[in-house]
Amino acid sequence: MFERRLYHHVDWGLLAAVLALCAIGLSQVYSATGGWTPILETQVYGVLLGLLALAVCLGIDYRSLADKSHIIYIAVIALLIYVLFFGAVRGGSRRWIDLGVFNVQPSEFAKAALALVLAKFLGESRRGAVTHVDLLMVGGLTAVPLIIIARQPDLGTAATLIPVALAVAFVAGMPVRLLGVLAVAGLLAAPITWRFALQDYQKERISTFLDPAQDARGAGYQQIQARITVGSGGPWGKGFTEGTQGQLRFLPVAHNDFIFSVLAEEQGFAGVIVTLGLYLFVILRALESARLAKDQLGAYLVLGVLASFTFQVIYNITMSAGLAPVKGLTLPLMSYGGSSMIATLAGFGLILNVRMRRFTN
Amino acid sequence: MAAVTEDRRRITVRLTVLQVSVVVTFAALAISFWFLQIVQHAQYEEMAENNHQRTLALRAPRGVLFDRHGKVLVENRHSFSVSIVREHTKDLDRTIRLLAAVAGLDLTQVRQIVDRHRGEPTYRPIVVIEDASLAQVAAIVARRLDFELPDVVVEEVPMRQYPTDALAAHLFGYVGEANDAQLGDGVRTGAIVGQSGIERVYNKLLMGQDGARRVVVNSMGREIRTLEEVPPVEGRRVQLTIDYDLQKAAEDGFKHAGFNGSALVLDPRTGEVLSLVSLPAYDPNDFAAGIDRATWAALNSDALRPLQNRTIQGRYSPGSAFKIVIATAALEEGLVDPDFKVYCGGGASFFGRYFLCHLRGGHGVVDMRHAIEKSCNVYFYTLGNMLGVDRIHKWAEKLGLVGLTGIDLPNEQDSIVPSTEWKRQRTGERWYPGETISVSIGQGQVTVTPAAMAVMMATVANGGTRVTPHIIRAVDEGGGWKAATPPVVPERVAFRPETLSALHDGLWMVVNAAGTGGRARIPGRDVAGKTGTAQVISNQGRQAARGGERDLRDHGWFVFFAPKDDPQIAGVIFGEHNGHGYLGAPIAKHVIETYFAKREGRPLPTLAPPPVPPPVPEPDPDSAPIEAPAIARVAPGAAPRTIAPGTY
Repeated sequence: MFERRLYHHVDWGLLAAVLALCAIGLSQVYSATGGWTPILETQVYGVLLGLLALAVCLGIDYRSLADKSHIIYIAVIALLIYVLFFGAVRGGSRRWIDLGVFNVQPSEFAKAALALVLAKFLGESRRGAVTHVDLLMVGGLTAVPLIIIARQPDLGTAATLIPVALAVAFVAGMPVRLLGVLAVAGLLAAPITWRFALQDYQKERISTFLDPAQDARGAGYQQIQARITVGSGGPWGKGFTEGTQGQLRFLPVAHNDFIFSVLAEEQGFAGVIVTLGLYLFVILRALESARLAKDQLGAYLVLGVLASFTFQVIYNITMSAGLAPVKGLTLPLMSYGGSSMIATLAGFGLILNVRMRRFTN
Repeated sequence: MAAVTEDRRRITVRLTVLQVSVVVTFAALAISFWFLQIVQHAQYEEMAENNHQRTLALRAPRGVLFDRHGKVLVENRHSFSVSIVREHTKDLDRTIRLLAAVAGLDLTQVRQIVDRHRGEPTYRPIVVIEDASLAQVAAIVARRLDFELPDVVVEEVPMRQYPTDALAAHLFGYVGEANDAQLGDGVRTGAIVGQSGIERVYNKLLMGQDGARRVVVNSMGREIRTLEEVPPVEGRRVQLTIDYDLQKAAEDGFKHAGFNGSALVLDPRTGEVLSLVSLPAYDPNDFAAGIDRATWAALNSDALRPLQNRTIQGRYSPGSAFKIVIATAALEEGLVDPDFKVYCGGGASFFGRYFLCHLRGGHGVVDMRHAIEKSCNVYFYTLGNMLGVDRIHKWAEKLGLVGLTGIDLPNEQDSIVPSTEWKRQRTGERWYPGETISVSIGQGQVTVTPAAMAVMMATVANGGTRVTPHIIRAVDEGGGWKAATPPVVPERVAFRPETLSALHDGLWMVVNAAGTGGRARIPGRDVAGKTGTAQVISNQGRQAARGGERDLRDHGWFVFFAPKDDPQIAGVIFGEHNGHGYLGAPIAKHVIETYFAKREGRPLPTLAPPPVPPPVPEPDPDSAPIEAPAIARVAPGAAPRTIAPGTY
């Protein structure tokens, strides 16, 4: 199955950059949690399992996977529904399946599943630009997991599904006009969402973002602290494990949502540029894979996987600098979180898969 | 195939669009971080430092006060103060409620305290409990460990500890938070400074220098480590001239006697104050922990005025004790010699008015010594009349009864002995010679502080050197005890030997012969003294005010020194509303006995435990106050006015 010559077409550069980001993430988790802790241990296991998942996703031809995409999609939907009723509750939301040893967060895998099913749907045996019926179908396929995840509630993860659909549809030839219409519709829907769909704490976060000083001790606190954390890092940072904001917990969940802030504090602007550069390299390199893909299926698959990744990276880093409302969105490859790590690395398995098999039939 | 190429082209174009968007977004992110980390770095660095660094004031212990024999009088003890630091408080009212509940405090009171300091910077602790009890500290610390009260700080601070029973309260004074006028010159907002007594006068010596500790705290307000510490410098150790045992003897004497008043005992040779009493007193310990409003209001509204230091702030007419001044003046001015005799028939007429002696039948023919012993009014009316008010004023000043004594305590009041000049300035009227007659028995406009009376007695005792009473004996500037410079002697007159022997003999006879001071007699100690009565109200006024609320009983004086021929101790006992001057004599006796016992290493005398109610005075010839019945004796034509002679 894994032919010897394919080995030469693995994108080692991309893989190296991904691993470098994982390493940076591990070191920052180490710093933020104060040494070798169970949290770091879990993260190491996450990386190892993720690499295993990456290898598996690399090994199977993406076209065979796409053939099974409907099964994978339905399985994930089933898991999501299961979580909705029987999942483990933490922090007021039901997101996890408790497996005893560790918890699995199915919503993380929903992204890859959606990417697969959309790629299959739009990329297979189709010619010319997408039709309106296609787009409706795309919307429907996206809406099902999105609504279930939003009900957990986990609006952050739910929102990452939207870029998946948009990116795939965009490259698949969705009219630009329609994008504009969607944007306008989104703007019009905002007040309604505000009124009916958002929880109080979510509303608070958004209104706080618009004016952090109005609640400097409450929700605005994190945002202000994030800026202080980043800004106080300066050009060269305070040194590994020397950051005061993260170490003394002025910034909450430093190993998770705010891991990039801690990096910025301890490694300074230099560390930020290096890390941003790595992420940019990874994204551009993956986009290159989409361009090089042998077929539309491959290109769409890469795009779908990449879209949620890119969206999360950009959003989380913006939030880390206190420039976006605080949302429970982790930084892929760096933040603490086993499911996210495994799902992300598995996703990169798919991307590498597409590039590696660009010459095979 | 065209469609395939078309698809390829579209995909390529749109991928390029995405590529460019990603690059632009990342560039924007990089620029944002550049702004935060490079351009605005200094500002955020400062904010981060304010976040995790806290400067805690380390209050310097005030200097310890010792008595003249090295016994500790005022020291410092450890106490805990509980404060709220609002820097990271999310819900101040919740903290206040929880703290009040945990520490058992009144919620509205805590709110008031916090409200008063609301305008201050949030990193400055608001002290909610001074001198917290151990139970309170334990309860709060337990909650802190549970992260329930992360913004509450418990600090150990030194607190002034004064002796029990408010011993020498007015001497020590008290401390309190510096008011606006006291700021500057090393005194910062919130500093504890002396507000009264020695604490105030020698605040600079005693205050020391507060230190500071810069610590790293985490977001829960818990201290992680110390960055820098400037230890506090303890205030200077100060040795007072006070003798603890004499102080206690004097205060015990008052308690035993059952009246309030004041006492000042000093060494007549140097002016060193051995004991200073003012009763009723306050407890300086109440102030050390920040006095609460109720106690402060009670102290201020108390009709007995416990905050007043009667010794230097109370002014009373000296009564017969003033006769010592008249005797000294007449002898030193050379108007008379000690053998000068006057016939006392129970009263005498001056300027058309009849002035009574307190002994109805009169003292007969008396010389100077016996006039002092018997406190004969007629004798001193005569001398006063011969002297005139200005010479009385002059000698009163030489003896220390005019103006301030210069004692090193705050807010001393002037003592007043009138003169023609004084009256002219005060009222614009001329002096009437008839007024001099009342002055010569210490009435009229003569008002003096007990401290001035003590100086007068010390001056008489030492033969004419008007000493300045002072309280500081030595200061430890860091290199061991250094004797304090004694104040300069403002006036030195060498009395003539015959003046001195007549005064000393007469005063000795007051105590040891037929005089009114017999209760101060100590065999072999040759105590000399003089009683006096300060009228609170004239006899006529007393009739009118009978049944009123005010305490109209007279004040009693007893001034003394001992031993007669080599005075080592002198002083004054002033009894407030005790009715009779001789009631102060037992207090003086107890102090003098204690003085000699201590000097000779014998066990200190104790007062009989059950204070016997003051017995009916024995039939002392001078004791009965005499109303003015002798209208028959008034010279014909003279207005039948009498001066109140209730002084002896």
